[in-house]
Parts: sequence; C-alpha cells; structure tokens
Amino acid sequence: MKWGGVQYDAIVIGGGHNGLAAAARLASGGARVLLAEAGPCVGGAAVTSEITPGYSASAVAHLLEGFPRRIERKLKLHKHGLRYAARDVATVALDRDGHHILLPRTRKEFAGFRDLLPKDADVYREYVARRRALAEFVAPLLGERPPALNDPDALKRFLRRSVWRAALKGGSTMQSLLRVLPEAIGDRLDAEFESPLLKGALAFDATLGGAEGPYAPGTSFRAILREAMRMQGQGAMLPVGGMGAFSDALAASVAAAGGDVRVNARVMRILVEEGKAVGVELSGGIEVRAARVLSAIAPRTTMLDLVGARHVETDDLRELRHLVPRGTTAKINLALDRLPEFSGLAPELHGARLLIAPSLADLDEAANAARSGALPFEPVMEVLLPSVTDPLLAPEGQHVMSIIVHHVPHAMAGGWDAHREALMQRVVRMLGNYAPGIEDMMIAGEILTPPDIEEKYGLAGGDWHQGDIRLDRLFAFRPAPAYGRCETPLPGLWLCGAGSHPGGGITGLPGWLAADAVLSDGGSA
Amino acid sequence: MTPDTAPPNERTDVEIDLGSEQATVDPALFEEAPAEPPFARTVHTTPLHIVTSAESRTNRWTDWNGYTVPDVLTDLGDEYRALRGAAALADHSPLVKYRIFGRDALDYLQRLVTRDLSALEVDTAVHVVFCEGSGLVLGDGLLFRLGEEEYRLVTEETHLAWMMDSAEGFRVGIADVGATLALLSLQGPLSALCLHEAGVANIDGLAPFAARWADIARMPVYVSRTGASGDLGYELWTDAEDAPHLWRHLMEKGAPHGLRATGFALRELARLEAGFPRAGRDYLSVLTAVASIDASTPFELWRSPSIATGKMVFNGGRALRSLASVPPRRRLVVLAADALEPVSLSSVLSGTRQVGTVTTYGFSPALGANIAFAMVEDEAAEGELALTATLREGLGAREVVLRARILREPAWNSARRLVLPAPLKS
Repeated sequence: MKWGGVQYDAIVIGGGHNGLAAAARLASGGARVLLAEAGPCVGGAAVTSEITPGYSASAVAHLLEGFPRRIERKLKLHKHGLRYAARDVATVALDRDGHHILLPRTRKEFAGFRDLLPKDADVYREYVARRRALAEFVAPLLGERPPALNDPDALKRFLRRSVWRAALKGGSTMQSLLRVLPEAIGDRLDAEFESPLLKGALAFDATLGGAEGPYAPGTSFRAILREAMRMQGQGAMLPVGGMGAFSDALAASVAAAGGDVRVNARVMRILVEEGKAVGVELSGGIEVRAARVLSAIAPRTTMLDLVGARHVETDDLRELRHLVPRGTTAKINLALDRLPEFSGLAPELHGARLLIAPSLADLDEAANAARSGALPFEPVMEVLLPSVTDPLLAPEGQHVMSIIVHHVPHAMAGGWDAHREALMQRVVRMLGNYAPGIEDMMIAGEILTPPDIEEKYGLAGGDWHQGDIRLDRLFAFRPAPAYGRCETPLPGLWLCGAGSHPGGGITGLPGWLAADAVLSDGGSA
Repeated sequence: MTPDTAPPNERTDVEIDLGSEQATVDPALFEEAPAEPPFARTVHTTPLHIVTSAESRTNRWTDWNGYTVPDVLTDLGDEYRALRGAAALADHSPLVKYRIFGRDALDYLQRLVTRDLSALEVDTAVHVVFCEGSGLVLGDGLLFRLGEEEYRLVTEETHLAWMMDSAEGFRVGIADVGATLALLSLQGPLSALCLHEAGVANIDGLAPFAARWADIARMPVYVSRTGASGDLGYELWTDAEDAPHLWRHLMEKGAPHGLRATGFALRELARLEAGFPRAGRDYLSVLTAVASIDASTPFELWRSPSIATGKMVFNGGRALRSLASVPPRRRLVVLAADALEPVSLSSVLSGTRQVGTVTTYGFSPALGANIAFAMVEDEAAEGELALTATLREGLGAREVVLRARILREPAWNSARRLVLPAPLKS
C-alpha cells in the first residue's frame, strides 16, 4: 500500500543505528524502504544532546568501537558527513597516586608500560596476543548470519571454522579456547597479573554493560567477544559532533539510496493477515503496507506489543520470557568551565578513555551492590572528554565530560528520584580523587539512570546490550532459538535490532545482517 | 472445604535479641511447617462424598485426580445394567474445571485449542484438544460457552501452568473452579425421564451438546446434554452446597424408574465402550511424558481430530499442518478379544513381535468380549493382532494369547445419544 504515493517493499521499525543500518542496506540493495522512528530524531542510543545551551555531548553511547569498516565504506558514510575527531582512542587506567597505566598500542607505548609495570609487561603482551588469537576465531562468526540450528551441515561448517580451526592450530589453542569459555575473567587475571589497577581495567572492559561482576563465569569469554567486536572496526573512534553525527550520516545514506526516514512516526502495531506480517499501523491510524517488516526494537516488545499474542504460539512467546532487559549502566554528562586536571596524566592523554576501576575487588563490590539494588559506594566508570579532540562541543576553553557509570541498579527501592543526586555526588567525589577540584568546574550536568535511558532514548530496559552477551545467548540462540536467524515465527517479520546476533554495541551488524538475509530471501516471498 | 484450602497455622514471630551473646533457639524452627500443595498428602473428598458414602455397600473406593470417589457402590454388573437399561447417577466432581472469562477469552481460547471456536454458541459445548508447539497433545476436554465472554473448560488433568503461560498478552482471567463446582453425571436411556420426573421442564428439547439453566427443587442447576457413555446422558453442574440435596432429590425421583448410584469403575467401562480415551491413562500429556516417545499427536489419538485449517494461529498449528500429511507412527485403537470371562490384558502382538501396549481394558457385557484401548504401531494395525492375557484360576495364573480385532465402531454407540427430542421412554 502507498503512503504519500509511495509503495514500499520493506518497513523498518525503529530508527536506532541498527534500524538505520538495515534501512541503508535494504535501500542500497534496491528495495524501497520506509523507516519509522517514534521519537523526534533518529539514532536511538547513538545521539548527541545538549547538556545546557552551548555544551553538547553524546547522550548515551560515546565511542564507536566495533563499527565495521566494510559497512562504513559501503554506505559511503564519509561522503554523508561522518568525520572522526579521534581515531584509535587510547585507554588509560587512572591511578589515585598518578601512576596511570596507558594500555599500550604501539612499541613505544609498550616501553613506557614496561617501565611502569616490569613484572606484568610480558604477561600482558602474552595475554593480549592470546586474547587476539582467540578473538580471531570468533570475529568472522560475528560478521555473518548464524547457521540454522536444525541444519546439521551448516552447523558442521560453522564448527569447522571456529572450534576445529582452533584444534588444527595446535593443542594449546584448543585448550585455551575450551578453558576460556566458562572462565571468570577475575580468576584468570588474578592468576597472571600483579597490578590491581591493570586487572581492574581489563576486567572493566570485559564486564561493561552487563550485570555480572568480574568473578562471574563466562566473563572471560566476554573479553574475547569484545576484542572480536573491536576487530570489526578499527579501534575506538570518536565522531566529530558526537554519536548523533554518526547516526545522521547513516540516515543521510538511507536517504541518498532512496529510502524514507520518518520521525515522529510511532508504530502502534504490526498488521497481520493470513498468518503473515503485511505492514504496520502508525499512530494516527495510518496503515502502511509492505511485504517485509523489520523490527529494530526489542524482540519481546515486538512480538508481544506490536504483533500481539494471538498471532504467535505460546512456545514462541515463552522463549522470549527471559528477555526482560535490565540495564546496569548509567550515563552522566557534565559541562565544565575549564579542562579538568587529572594529576599525573600527560596532556595528550586527556582525550583518552579514562577508566576508573581501581581493582577487581572494587569492581566486584560495585557489582554486588548493584545486584542487591544499592548504589555502589565507589562507582566504577569510563570517563571521556570528547571536547579535547572535538572543540566545537563546548565554548572555547570549556569542556564536556561524558561518563559511563558501570554497575548501577536498574531499579532502586523507593524510586530513582530519591537516589539520583546521591549517585551524582558519589561519581563526582570519586572523580575528585583523580581530578581535584572538579566539583568547582561543573556548570551543568545531566544524569541518565537505566530507566531514564529507556524513557528518553527508547532503549528497552536501558540495557546497552539488549540481552546478555553470553555464549548461550549468541549466534542462533539470540534472542531465542525460534528467532535465531533474524527471522521470527511470523512470516514476513524480521528482527534487526541489538536483540539479534551479534548483539549490542554500536556495530550496525544486527541490522546489516538482517537486511542481508531479507535481500537474499527476496525471491521466495 | 478441602483440607488444603484451610488457612495454615498462624505463626507468631518470636523476638530474638540480636545483641545477646547467649544462644537462643527459635522455637519456630521445630514446629511442623504445614506442607503446601501439591506435595501435601491430604485426602480430598468431593462435595458429594456424604451421599456417595451413604450409598456404598462395598467400601470400595478409588483415587481420581486426588479425590476419594467410590469405585463400585453395589455391584459393577448391577450398575452396568442400570446404565444401559435405565439410568445411572455418578459423582464426576473430581474433573478439573476452569472458568475462562474476559474480553479476550475467545481469542485466547482460539489460540489455545486446535479447533475453530468461532461458531461456538452460548450454552453449547464442544470437545477440544490442546497441543504445545511441537504438535504433541497436552490434554483434551469439553469446552462450554457460558456467556458472551465466559467459558468453562473441563479436563481430566490440571493445565493451569500452561494456560497461564498462554494468557500472556490477553485480557483474560482463568480460575480453577474445581473445588466449588460439583458435577453430577446422569447417563442412560431413561436419564431424560429422570430429569423430567425431577421437575426439569422440556428436558427432551435440549439438543446434544447444548446446555441451559434449570430449576430443580428450587436449586439452580446448569444442565448440559453431555457425557462419555455413548448413550443419552446429562451432566448437572451446581454449587458444592446444593450438590448433596440435588443428588438425593434425583435419586428419590429416579429410583422408581431404575436410577442407581454408580461409581468410577462403571465410568471407566462406559467410556471404554464408547471409545473416549482418558488423559493420564490412555495417553500422556506431553508435559508429563518423561520420554518424548510417550507423547502423542492428535492424529494418533483420534480418528479425525478437529484441527482448524487455514489462517488461524493456534498452539501447535505449524507443527500439526505438517504432521497432517504424514501417516501417524502409531494409533490408539479399541481392540476386542473374545473370551468368556474378564481377563487382564497387557501387550499387543503381531505374530510374535510386540507392536503395542494396552492402556485400559475391561469386559464389555454389550459385546460379550474383553475390550481394550491399545496404542498400536500403524503398520501393524492392518494385520493380524493378538493380545497377551493373564487368566487367573484360584491362586494360579496362566498366560495366554488371544486373537484380537480392531473395533471400527464403538462397542456402545446408541442413536439415542443424538436424537432430538430426547426419548422420555426406554
């Protein structure tokens, strides 16, 4: 059916970056696409917002870590305005006494690293090499549609390329792969490293966004997955103008390929006729029809609220029961009247990812506090000063600070309103340990708790990953077996959000892979 | 009220002084905690226990769904003759009854069961089957439409967990009304006459599978023309408090016409003759079957199960559509083995190979033969079949093999079951 005289082949629900990637892929594949976004702008959790007039920061996600180079090239995002303020942003583990650890990327940096941590340096090199080797087995699997669970040949090919390749590489690789799958990152780090700060930083990266602490089984594999995800991209990138500029470039590439991006168009339900998805109903009762509907919003919401239980069998809904996302990460954006001084930090590193995770014990404590519904006493966090490399985000000489606070409970007893201020105070006090006087530099600030993120940016449950990143929730098990390969039990409806393989993070891959699947399915419908 | 619904013993919390160095023992630790159902071992009785126990001349009781019910009240032969020649009254209250209500009740049920319910009118009933996603049967039962948005599902086993899971996304309420709703089953060629004598006006005008409210001795009773006897019969649904009075009133008015109180054994024999399999006995619900091979598809259990085709989405629909085209791997059949006395039957043979298992057996006086429900491999079902039987003589037992044949028609399927108006005479 037409809307404004256009007849569509596919409709994408939700204008987050995955929805945009799916729409761009479909449009560049020749399909006439409508993308319907409920909110006033596209981007989902990848947007730039104003803290106070004159000061802007990436509202939720603030770095591009695993956005594949091939997608960026294919969509010509550079042509559509994507520029980077910084490439391969460094990671620094902050130390209270000023002995900060720069996680080395180059030979030169490694020399400095060795001077600081003579005992851990070689172990670290080995650790990184091993992590990289294991990630290389996983990385190609993240960039493709998972094999069907009921197709033994496809599964065999899949295993041959991952596990069997590791076996061929020699006993030790196979051993470490088998060992790493169920292992807790904390145990591994304790066995190998001495520096609590280094261990804290490595475990922070492995657990960020999830609810598990560093001693939870399976977290070691998450470090591998994160590394594999990073391999899709080219290191942590900081777009000029914040993440919103990245989303805008994606939207521009959709438009350039002939796709329609409509904002303020909330999809009320998915139209089902004769057991097939045939279109959507937008707010205001407008019906738009297309043979294929792709949903970039949470799988559970899609099936239960948009499709409706009467069109799906009980078992297919029961599979989604575990998928009630509960974010464990808060975001704080601050406007500062000058550049904060991190004592002992080299000036050129003020634009780096600054990790405040002093030790595994601190991480564990924060995780435990969050699990029991309390605020961590000493929050662990990732701090970024995007205005150091992208000065237009703040007035001259002034800065914005973007903070991801890890291990924050989704729900607080008595509601979040009573606790927002306490969280802010604890974060600022913690920051003050590293950057004295920061509380005097603050002009304005905003705090986004997990429920706030859900409400403002439409991320279900405020969960960055949209479902745990675990081995049993990846590949064709993501989000659930019946929905594994981007498909749903309802013909014509596809899932293209972070709830699908390969999951959360700003990778665009769930959207891209779903659109690929839809295009290759083209002949059969 | 059954014991499990009684309030648990009130426990007053004992104050424990945490500052005290002295060890204190919380006496509550040593109190017997009231066990919670379903693990509680309690004896349930039905609202009709008071009248059935007065009728019992044999003290033979049995367990049905956790309730104590009479197995045989007087003599199975006498009870059978009453059922087939006059009328038989029985307590069927242990059946599981759910009230399903709300705006989405119809949509909810449409997805729950395999048949299309859109033509189900108020005050009628249909036999329904419900499956899980793989097309294996969870249970079957009788579904009544009580009102525009109110239904009653009567099943042999409990299905509350599955029904609650399936309710997600529907505005629907589900209540287990088993404890408060008594069910009297009045079956037999003179059952309409008994109800007529009991004061139900125009009972003969009630169509098969239809129901209506009636006033019997100033008690409101929901009368439905249903039952699993293969003959004319009615089921009477009433409040637990009224049930014993209703029973006495029916016995008083019906006894002159040959109405007798009957027990569970007769119900089993009647449904065997009429060809109605029972969940938990003749087939296992897919959720109770430990090995998946023990679970069955509707095509294995019923000759032509009612499965909606076309666009409607229902649980198991996808799987059943593909199963419909392949012949079932085995089938539930009724076998008859000629023998002059009741024997106990166990396995089905084809030649010397075992091809099936007997699930229910009994001696059918109507056929003068032993009949049995048996799950038989489909390929073997067309050939010669035999049954292994145990004959008991005194203390001795003898294993014999009896020739068996598949009954294509139920052993008892009276035309009275479906005629309208219902006969008021035998």
